[in-house]
Amino acid sequence: MSLASIKNNFLNRIKIKPTPRVVRAVDLIGQWAAPITIVIVLVAAIFIAPAFYSPINLKTVAIQIAVLGIVSVGQTLALLVRSIDLSVAAVMAVGAVIVVQTQAGNSLIISLFQAFAIAAVIGLINGLLIAKRHVPPFIATFGMMIFISGARLAYTKGQVSGTVPDMLRAVSIEPIFGNFIPSALIVWIVVNLIALFILMKTRYGRWVYAVGGNPEASRYAGIRVDAVVIGVHVVTSMLALLAGLILSGYIGYVDLKIGEGYHFNSIAATVVGGTTFLGGRGNLFGTIAGVGLLILLLNLVVVLGLPIHWQHAMQGIVLVVATALQGFRQFLLSR
Amino acid sequence: MNMVIPELTTSGDSNTSRMRQVVQFLRNNKAVVLIYIIILIVAGLTAAFSEVFRSPANIMNIFRQSIALGLLAIGQSVVILTGGMDVSTSQIARIVCLVVATFFALTESNPAMIIPLIALGIVIGVILGGLNGILITRTHAVPFIITLGMASVLRGVNLAISTTPIRGVPSEYLQIYNAKIGIVPINVLAFGAVWILAWLVMTRTRMGRSIYAVGGSERIAQLSAIRINRSLVLAYVISGLFAALAGLMLLSRMGVGDPSAAEGMDFQSVAAVALGGISLYGGKGSILGTLGGVLLLTMMSNVFVLMQIDIYFQTLVLGTVMLIAVAAYKATRKRDI
Repeated sequence: MSLASIKNNFLNRIKIKPTPRVVRAVDLIGQWAAPITIVIVLVAAIFIAPAFYSPINLKTVAIQIAVLGIVSVGQTLALLVRSIDLSVAAVMAVGAVIVVQTQAGNSLIISLFQAFAIAAVIGLINGLLIAKRHVPPFIATFGMMIFISGARLAYTKGQVSGTVPDMLRAVSIEPIFGNFIPSALIVWIVVNLIALFILMKTRYGRWVYAVGGNPEASRYAGIRVDAVVIGVHVVTSMLALLAGLILSGYIGYVDLKIGEGYHFNSIAATVVGGTTFLGGRGNLFGTIAGVGLLILLLNLVVVLGLPIHWQHAMQGIVLVVATALQGFRQFLLSR
Repeated sequence: MNMVIPELTTSGDSNTSRMRQVVQFLRNNKAVVLIYIIILIVAGLTAAFSEVFRSPANIMNIFRQSIALGLLAIGQSVVILTGGMDVSTSQIARIVCLVVATFFALTESNPAMIIPLIALGIVIGVILGGLNGILITRTHAVPFIITLGMASVLRGVNLAISTTPIRGVPSEYLQIYNAKIGIVPINVLAFGAVWILAWLVMTRTRMGRSIYAVGGSERIAQLSAIRINRSLVLAYVISGLFAALAGLMLLSRMGVGDPSAAEGMDFQSVAAVALGGISLYGGKGSILGTLGGVLLLTMMSNVFVLMQIDIYFQTLVLGTVMLIAVAAYKATRKRDI
């Protein structure tokens, strides 16, 4: 059975004609699925898990949203230019390790500078591999992920790397505004505002959408496509590093597993939020909703007292369902 | 496509014609030849310095330890040749390992259950692989992401099955890993036979050729009346099947249902495939190269142990190898996720 005939069979069976109105409806559902589900889950939580609304839990949720949210801003940018970044989790861990080394002597400023420089170089290499050597993005960043993890293990010899400097702990969990909102949330909001401004109001933001939508047309329009892709990857890596610092500040120590699963969750959150793998379509508001939904579900597993393996199952199911829905949406749009 | 040796119609004496065939073969399989040369160099250097390394027992051990990764890598090669990637294989191997061990424990290590449970493990692998394939072909989603999601779900299921090693595997089952004829373990012989079979299927049968064709260009494959979706689902089923075999092999190697079985083997199998010269875009390369990649990786970890190099450097070496393989890409195709 060919691709086209399956498509026709399926569409005939469920009686959908891909008229512009239907396509637009599917498109809207793709974008609004996450916010609507969040509301449903929040209402349901009132009845099934009242403990969710305790101030301590809300603060935990806020910090988790901030960490995943910052990574996902970078991931959204990467997906918008038709790329992807699997090395974010490894970069988060590396940043945490480097900064924690300050306990061994250096000043914090120098460590931070080193960490951001390394993140920028990692992003640059990712971007160069993808834009200049035309390596498929997920393969390039996948190789980078294994390389960075290996380098980190060789460097730390698998040991826990000491405690986190006080200043980082302050940036992460210190409450602002009447003992309620953790400062990590403020960092997340600031990052989102800057990214939103750049995407919506500047020429660079338009370029990002244009490159993702149609790289060839962008090239003919005089956009330096390679430079945009490389720039996005540098930004993605540096945002991942920032998230890694906040995460280590929240946890308080740096172990082998720090940052684990964030490449996965950031992609899931972005895709749930309506950004497609084919680039040029999607926005940060969707990603914010996607992050919120994912963290809500993961937190509910804990609050309800379910065994922790439900978190893995939950992540996987959310990723598969979101990817499948977006694939179908893209498929309708391409008709 | 690389394995096909063109018919030579020269009327010269058979000697020069054979020479030409050999040269042609080497030219078509540069990557495969290269990986085996590297293996010989590494093995030769280590053997010259280490007496333990060149002992026959150690060499047989290297072969024996490469079986689990090798089985995973066959499935991974098939999937990568279609242009996809399966990162759920190590979790499929683990769930097979755990489920079979659980049933052994439930039936009080009854040796009569060995054959039915092996069949059960294979069925689990085939079903999970088929599920991957169906999700990927029906929703037109990116294979990498779907299998990543599947891996996460399976990780959760595996944690639910057990977080401690499961005892109760009958000692007869351990013979799968331990039985020997003289010095050669039986499973190494079986492993060699499986590889030859896999190579024959990929190069000599219609199924193998259609997998290459789908990976080369889906559009052209479709125009050539190849059933793309069937080939794709088949590739993931094969991957699941070999993952299940790897899980069964791991169970007999360790003797307990280890909840961390096959950890990291999905990355290693991708690295082995890349090392062996199969294009990660799909459609190009020989499965024989993957065998070389598997042997090289296993041998290197053996060498690391002998030279008492820190275990954490192994990951660094694996990562460096991976990054070099990635950077060595030729810009022959347009960018695609």
